[in-house]
Amino acid sequence: MGGAKVTKGRWRAKEPSKVHCTERYEVAYVIGFIEATISGILMGGLYGFIAVSLSLIFGVAKIVNFAHGALFMVAMFLVYWILVLLKVDPYLSSLIAAGFLFFFGYFFQRLFIEPILRREKETAPLTVILLTSGLMMIIENVALLLFGADYRTVKTGYTGKVWEIAGLFIAQPRMIGFVLSLVLILLLELYLRKTNLGRAIRATSQDREAARLMGIDDYRVYKITFGVGGTMLGFAAAFLVPFYFVHPAVGELFVLKSFVIVVLGGLGSITGAFLAGIIVGIIESLGAQFINSALVESLIFIIFIGCLVVKPTGLLGKQRE
Amino acid sequence: MSWNRTFPAVAVSVAVLFPFVMRDPYFLHAAITVLLFAFLASSWNIIGGLAGQHSFGHSVFFGIGAYVSTILFIYWNVPPFLGMIVGGIIAAIASIGIGYPCFKLRGPYFALSTLAFTEIFRIIATTTEQVGPVDFKGAAGILIPFRPGNSFVNFQFAEKAYYYYIILAMLILILFIHNWIEKSRWGLYLAAIRDNEDAARSIGINARRFKILALMISAFFGAMAGTFYAQFFLYIEPILFSSALSIEILLIAIVGGAGTLMGPFLGSLILTPISELTRTYLGGTYAGVQLIIYGGVLVAVMMFAPQGIIPPLAKRYRKLFERRA
Amino acid sequence: MKTIGIILLTFFCVFYYGLGLTYAQQEVKVGVLIPLSGGLAVIGENLQMAHDFAVKEINEAGGIKSLNGAKIKLIYADTRGDSKIGMSEAERLILREGVVAIMGAFQSSVSYTSTEVSEKYQVPYLVPNSLMDAITERGLKYTFRVERKGSLWAKDQIDFIADMGKATGKSARTIGVVYESTDMGQAIAKGIRKWAPEKGLTIGLDEGYPPKTSDMTPVVLKMKRANLDVVILNSYTSDAILLIRTIADQRVNPIAFLGSSSGYSDPSFIKEVGKLAEYFFDLTEWTTDLKHSPLVQQKNAAYKKWNKDNRDFNGGAAFCYASTYILYEALEKAASYDPKKIRDAFATIKITKGPAMMIPWTPIEFDAEGQAKGARMLVVQYRDGQRRSVWPAEIASNKPVWPVPKWEERK
Repeated sequence: MGGAKVTKGRWRAKEPSKVHCTERYEVAYVIGFIEATISGILMGGLYGFIAVSLSLIFGVAKIVNFAHGALFMVAMFLVYWILVLLKVDPYLSSLIAAGFLFFFGYFFQRLFIEPILRREKETAPLTVILLTSGLMMIIENVALLLFGADYRTVKTGYTGKVWEIAGLFIAQPRMIGFVLSLVLILLLELYLRKTNLGRAIRATSQDREAARLMGIDDYRVYKITFGVGGTMLGFAAAFLVPFYFVHPAVGELFVLKSFVIVVLGGLGSITGAFLAGIIVGIIESLGAQFINSALVESLIFIIFIGCLVVKPTGLLGKQRE
Repeated sequence: MSWNRTFPAVAVSVAVLFPFVMRDPYFLHAAITVLLFAFLASSWNIIGGLAGQHSFGHSVFFGIGAYVSTILFIYWNVPPFLGMIVGGIIAAIASIGIGYPCFKLRGPYFALSTLAFTEIFRIIATTTEQVGPVDFKGAAGILIPFRPGNSFVNFQFAEKAYYYYIILAMLILILFIHNWIEKSRWGLYLAAIRDNEDAARSIGINARRFKILALMISAFFGAMAGTFYAQFFLYIEPILFSSALSIEILLIAIVGGAGTLMGPFLGSLILTPISELTRTYLGGTYAGVQLIIYGGVLVAVMMFAPQGIIPPLAKRYRKLFERRA
Repeated sequence: MKTIGIILLTFFCVFYYGLGLTYAQQEVKVGVLIPLSGGLAVIGENLQMAHDFAVKEINEAGGIKSLNGAKIKLIYADTRGDSKIGMSEAERLILREGVVAIMGAFQSSVSYTSTEVSEKYQVPYLVPNSLMDAITERGLKYTFRVERKGSLWAKDQIDFIADMGKATGKSARTIGVVYESTDMGQAIAKGIRKWAPEKGLTIGLDEGYPPKTSDMTPVVLKMKRANLDVVILNSYTSDAILLIRTIADQRVNPIAFLGSSSGYSDPSFIKEVGKLAEYFFDLTEWTTDLKHSPLVQQKNAAYKKWNKDNRDFNGGAAFCYASTYILYEALEKAASYDPKKIRDAFATIKITKGPAMMIPWTPIEFDAEGQAKGARMLVVQYRDGQRRSVWPAEIASNKPVWPVPKWEERK
């Protein structure tokens, strides 16, 4: 007699009970659908939050920052080491990470990007893409040399814990990350609208020349924007570390996706990026249920191109190029 | 003045005699790789340099060329030289499909959209296995069947020198075409579009048509490079469609000087050996160091010489002769 | 005066050169192609340690006796996980470094291409780990492969599932195969499609996902919906970690999960997922508690003591270690530095003793296509963080737990 008696879970709709067979299957189908949507929203929100930094930088300084993923990786390692060495919870250390990344971003802009901006009136996207690609390679491989190629994961109090709501399983760290991201996005929007610096940032993003004429030091604005972008990445990294893995090349998984999200959401629109992130997350999640997940990736790129052609300003974009 | 004529003549003779002087197959292999990338970057140069459209999608055409000629060879015994032409034509047609949406965009949007295309093609190539009678082998890639000896029909040679002369001829060909385009009326239109597309449009230049035409030519030759690659390395895989390769091609053209005639060649002469050497000597012991160096080169060039090596050199070169005259 | 000086100098140079030559003749140069940078650097490093350990033992025991005690010198080349680089590195090893044999290259795509190079230059190439069938189906004379063919991996997986059903009474009817869209993943999937129907199994899910996916939840949800009895997985390390965590989060409860080695046998996998890996089955070529030879335990203990991380062998490393010994036997048999003779030695070799017997079948010999005859896979189950052999029963030392406990029931 083999093994333990297997109790059939509610998903095992294979009992000979003919009356309820199809009903059970349909219920499972719909529940699967809902599950996929929720999962897509949660992950998508995080994708969006990661992309917010890029949106800000892209929108304000018109910089295509390919080192975005590498900076994210730096933040993740910071949170990881703080957790492992100092035993500080990621949600707490997120503040440290955010602070550190602010300066990292600030100086990143100052050292590498600003000289180019000062030199040319219109920064050729080519120059910046190649520059930031090079920086990405350097940062990632220095990390590889320093930290090695191991995939590192952490175990926090809520890693691997799920909430069960009506038969749906929601991973705690993902939900917490999502909610916190939402809060931070709202705070960021408030900051941009209500504070002087925030308004300066928005003004520069609308029209660099006009802003300068108004007395705004646009270079300072760019540095601050990069800094703020870094801050967001710092938080995002802290939200991801509890359920993800840390590795020198981890940033690469998010770079292209972030670009797609930024364009879909509209340059410079924070809420747009968040919403677009959620949309991308849902497409990824639902799409995988119906077609091969390898093709879902290409679907996202096709939608990206489509969006660029039809409405380049994105969903909530205010810019007109 | 005569220096202007003798210098290229000397250069070409050196290039032609090179395989007789350098018999070490490893160096010959490296030289062929340098020329191949010079050719590939030169093909990009038509759309990227002359027309000023910094496309990040060039690897798509390269990949198309490689796959088309290989599939035709394996399944229908089409000689790769013929397959090369077919691949070029298909790439040119594909370029219309790519150019049409992408050319509506400017600046970073254009760059990103072309990048997106490379990813789409890469994903399709990775996931496509059996389509009717043809096995594309997906992620495993396709090995070009080995044919011993030296054969033009099979486009495979045991002696590397053959490959060398073929790619040299291809490079000279594309340089002639580049020069011809640049000096022609069409070249003027492209230059106008490059410098200020709106102004060009306002004086009646059909920017879209010329951009697409330039892209078609770039695509055709990019595909030719793909076929050569397939027949030289005897293995192709979906990675050929990757954005990383596109960026490499770009970088070579930029470092040398986009838009200049010899820019891509110089760029390849500098960058290809660097990547080979760092990999050979540093790759084993210090993993990733070669990429740090590569990244460092990228950053240095972008920060200090984004126009590439040629323009400042060309200025010095000219100044030298102005003084003489 | 000057003439004497010149004569002395010449003597000195000749002497020095001669010294160099004789010194050179004291070593047999062998090339090793593995990924030492990039995403697979972790795996490459692991294999390197195994090769180094074997060579250390061989050289300390007196080197190649039939070559006057010549020592083996391994010359590593980083393939960066790229087939094109693999090919050019193979060429460099042969032409510039003058290696008389090559071992490598772990990834099937890299082995596949670099062996064509070695065939061209007529240098024997021993492949310890790659599973792509085509590697030994091209009529090449200089390629020898130890690993079992990929399509047969799938056959072994199907046989295992069928045997488990017979042994425990809990049979599987539908299976799913979820794999990374890489050459290895696609090879396994192809094999599953071929062999599953023969044992009456239906494939309920055939899902290839792109490598380096940032979120595995969509795939896992699809898995859950498909109601599979057994899920066969194939992933590299990072995906494996994410996948298991998501599977645990989502409480996917089939009868069993069966990995196809690769990421699932990587030491960092068990280190990172810890208890989540418990009860997970993994198809593998080797494990530390095999019963077929005492050498398994002995050599593993010695290796563990020797290497800086205190690591056990895993399947890939064990095969690299054993393959180095197969190479050693071939060199002894050939008694020559001539690659052609070494190749002939490989073709006719038949090993029944020595450290090469770490490999779980005997004798070790190659067929006309260069494939190791009698190659077979085994299945392990993770118990208490250890990989315990459970199948085939003749060489396994543990009983499997089938079906596995549900996630809800585990601590």
